Amino acid sequence: MSQVFEGYERQYCVLSANLSKKITSATLLNGEQKKQKVSEIKGGLEDAEALIRKMDLEARSLPPSVKATLLAKLREYKTDLNNLKTEVKRITSSNANQAARDELLESGMADTMMASADQRGRLLVSTERLNQSSDRVRESRRTMLETEELGVSILHDLHQQRQSLLHTHNTLHGVDDNVSRSKKILTNMSRRMSRNKWIIGSIIAVLVIAIILILYFKLIH
Amino acid sequence: MGDHQMAKGEEFERKAEKKVTGWGLFGSKHEDAADLYQKAANSFKLAKSWDRAAMVNIKLANCNLKLGSKHEAASAYVDAANCYKKTSPKQAISCLDQAVNMFLEISRLNMAARYCKEIGELYEKQENFDQAIVYFERSADLFQTEEVTTSANQCRLKVAQFSAQSGKYPKAIKIYEEIARHSLNNNLLKYGARGHLLNAGICQLCKGDVVAITNALEKYQDMDPTFSRTREYKLLADLAAAVDEEDVAKFTAAIKEFDSITQLDAWRTTLLLRVKETLKAKELEEDDLT
Repeated sequence: MSQVFEGYERQYCVLSANLSKKITSATLLNGEQKKQKVSEIKGGLEDAEALIRKMDLEARSLPPSVKATLLAKLREYKTDLNNLKTEVKRITSSNANQAARDELLESGMADTMMASADQRGRLLVSTERLNQSSDRVRESRRTMLETEELGVSILHDLHQQRQSLLHTHNTLHGVDDNVSRSKKILTNMSRRMSRNKWIIGSIIAVLVIAIILILYFKLIH
Repeated sequence: MGDHQMAKGEEFERKAEKKVTGWGLFGSKHEDAADLYQKAANSFKLAKSWDRAAMVNIKLANCNLKLGSKHEAASAYVDAANCYKKTSPKQAISCLDQAVNMFLEISRLNMAARYCKEIGELYEKQENFDQAIVYFERSADLFQTEEVTTSANQCRLKVAQFSAQSGKYPKAIKIYEEIARHSLNNNLLKYGARGHLLNAGICQLCKGDVVAITNALEKYQDMDPTFSRTREYKLLADLAAAVDEEDVAKFTAAIKEFDSITQLDAWRTTLLLRVKETLKAKELEEDDLT
């Protein structure tokens, strides 16, 4: 029968060693993982309590000679378990404090949390931004080339217009010369016309005077 | 309004006919007839009956010829051609042809050249490229005699474009190179020289003679020192290398790169497609042989 008790005892020892390890590791963590660990520890504590109760029953069912030693051992285990429980409580309380502090200082803590845990995301963002800027540069180069082509065609048009303007200029010079020549010719013509008029007028006058003289002489005789 | 104009026009025409066929005093019948014909043509144009307007214009031209004023006759032919443009391009072309001949007779080469160019454009619209080439060449020569080099160059460009399309590459190459040389001398035009050299290079590629292409590229570099830095030169060099190695993928890659920045226009695309086809054919040939 004490074998059963010994079996329980061994189980309890392993469990308590486990629990103490977990408690020490839980103090190093915080946040979610701590809560996980704490719940694990609590489950372990419950198992330990069940083992101790079984050991108690066993011890009481045994003969009184070994009962005393077993009960003493059991008391030891109970205190050990109580220690573990208090430790867990301490952790959870400090955990609660820590959780409250976390909530208060959430922004500061969270960023560093995200930054340090999110390096890959940051790299992706910066690659994306680089791609965007290279796209923009390419687009602007295309626009610049289009503008250049437009400029070339504008220059071509300007050249054509320059040529036609020069041509018109020359033609107008020619027209100017012709107009002044025609002006001279017209003045000539008008002068000749008036000269002819005078000549004809004077001839008519002479003829009329001749007719009058002839008639006069005819009538006298 | 249209019918009213039609009626007026017909009346003018009838009066003019009577004047011409009847007897007039002081021999002024032709002038009066010409005047009436002019009015008739005007009314028909307002009534939008282009055929009748054109016919009346032709009669007006004949009248003016009898009067001996070729200039008026030629202008009347031009009017007739403008009316015919809206209905039947062929008759328009024949009217313009007569007008051009008349202008040549009275030595108004400038106007003759301009109308030659118009005839060429009409042929171009009809897709009759050979005749278009003939007329554009004529107008280029006329413009050159009048020392209007820009219009002459424009006509020559069209000649080169059409001759390359119909496969007469050496002519096109010569024209493009000459125009490029001329543009380089002019401050305003020198930025357009690259385009012309690119066109010349494309024609060289179409001809397919690799040695000539490399010689030509060197020549262009001599002509224009800045050419070697341009994207056009890079494209030509890549294409020449691709043709040399008969590598279609490289060819397409070079073209795609150039096209992604500035799109190639229809003429260049057609010619480059031809080069690509010959390249593919050569590749297939080689595969068949090996």
